[in-house]
Amino acid sequence: MKEELTKAIKETLSSGKATAAVILTEQDDGELMPRIITSADDPAIDSIYTGDKRYPMASFAVMLLPVIEGNLAVPVRECDRRMFVELEKHNQVDFERLVLLGIPCSQEVADACGCDHPFVPNGIAIAEPLAKPAEPTPLPEALVNGNPEEVLSFWMDAFSNCIKCMGCRNVCPMCFCKDCALDNPDLVGPESKPPEIPIFHLIRAIDMADRCVDCGMCEAICPAEIPLRQLYRQARQVVKDAFGYEPGVSEGKSPIEMLGEPTELAGMEEGFRTG
Amino acid sequence: MAETLEAVEEKTPEKKQPEKDVKILAFLCNWCSYAGADLAGVSRMQYPPNVVDIRVMCTGTISPHFVLKAFQEGIDGVLIAGCHIGDCHYGKGNYMTAKRFRIIKDLLAGMGIDPRRIRLEWVSAAEGGKFQDVITSFTEQVRATGKSPLAKKKENG
Repeated sequence: MKEELTKAIKETLSSGKATAAVILTEQDDGELMPRIITSADDPAIDSIYTGDKRYPMASFAVMLLPVIEGNLAVPVRECDRRMFVELEKHNQVDFERLVLLGIPCSQEVADACGCDHPFVPNGIAIAEPLAKPAEPTPLPEALVNGNPEEVLSFWMDAFSNCIKCMGCRNVCPMCFCKDCALDNPDLVGPESKPPEIPIFHLIRAIDMADRCVDCGMCEAICPAEIPLRQLYRQARQVVKDAFGYEPGVSEGKSPIEMLGEPTELAGMEEGFRTG
Repeated sequence: MAETLEAVEEKTPEKKQPEKDVKILAFLCNWCSYAGADLAGVSRMQYPPNVVDIRVMCTGTISPHFVLKAFQEGIDGVLIAGCHIGDCHYGKGNYMTAKRFRIIKDLLAGMGIDPRRIRLEWVSAAEGGKFQDVITSFTEQVRATGKSPLAKKKENG
């Protein structure tokens, strides 16, 4: 994989398809460091990392595109690609200025993520798929039979471990807003640590409902082991059930980004009154 | 000798609202539902006193975050009332509300919060009677559901 990616980046840079590339490099101590390279001869390309660790490459692109000239080459996994699709809908990146180099995930990554699509589409792939789709991660036991009291106490127990490190927000490429509701003193007390629950997590869940591409990096980074991926999956499912929209997969903008037409409300009238 | 406030309150226990009763927050749109509530008021229609109103310019301005905040603060039920579809003062504000409402209701249901605690209704400025019916039936519905589990958690610390 290292050879193919190095070759693809060198080709992209020397042919002028991109003026810069953002890559992950492995340092002597084993830590990863993102770097920008602008020429195919840059020695940093020799220490390129192509292992199993994931990094939010889309966040780098959002940061870099406004400050560089020309196009940017980015190595992407399938989940990174979905992020770019969604970021483009929110006008954060411009596909014309991006050169995506699709790398397939190994079977270990696919199994760890419970990923059902661990390879990028043919158009941007630089290598053959390595992994078969993995079994999805099972539902937590408390959520299986869906008794509301159990469900609420499951989530409140999980949320009560939160130390408000903001890791979930900071790692998420879809959290690109300059003004974050989680910093709004009228919604969640900025001085309250641990955070007020469940509002702290539900604000993120509702904002992720039409954006989350289910990459699972929030859950991977969470030091309190909150099942965040399941939370955002539920939010995604709500939008999918109501509007048939799946972020990163469906075409067109999210239905709650737009005012809409009366036809969209057909059949929803019954949903207003419950019980 | 003038009676102390405590003495007056002791003599009139029925005036005091029972602590166990539910609290409902109602977001009313300025152009239709608030005027509808006003009509119910001037027509002397009786409805339960559990509701606290917040007037907003359009239901389309109600962020789902506000609904979450209401539940976080211990409110037992949230009512959103606005103009009928097609009658929005701003054109399509209430279409947005309808879509957002669907998402917030289903999300809360998935978190184990009873979806009967939240309701969306269209009440026009001429529908004082409908406003009375909505408040009465929604209060009964929330009473049947009981105090919010989040409110209980707040009281217990």
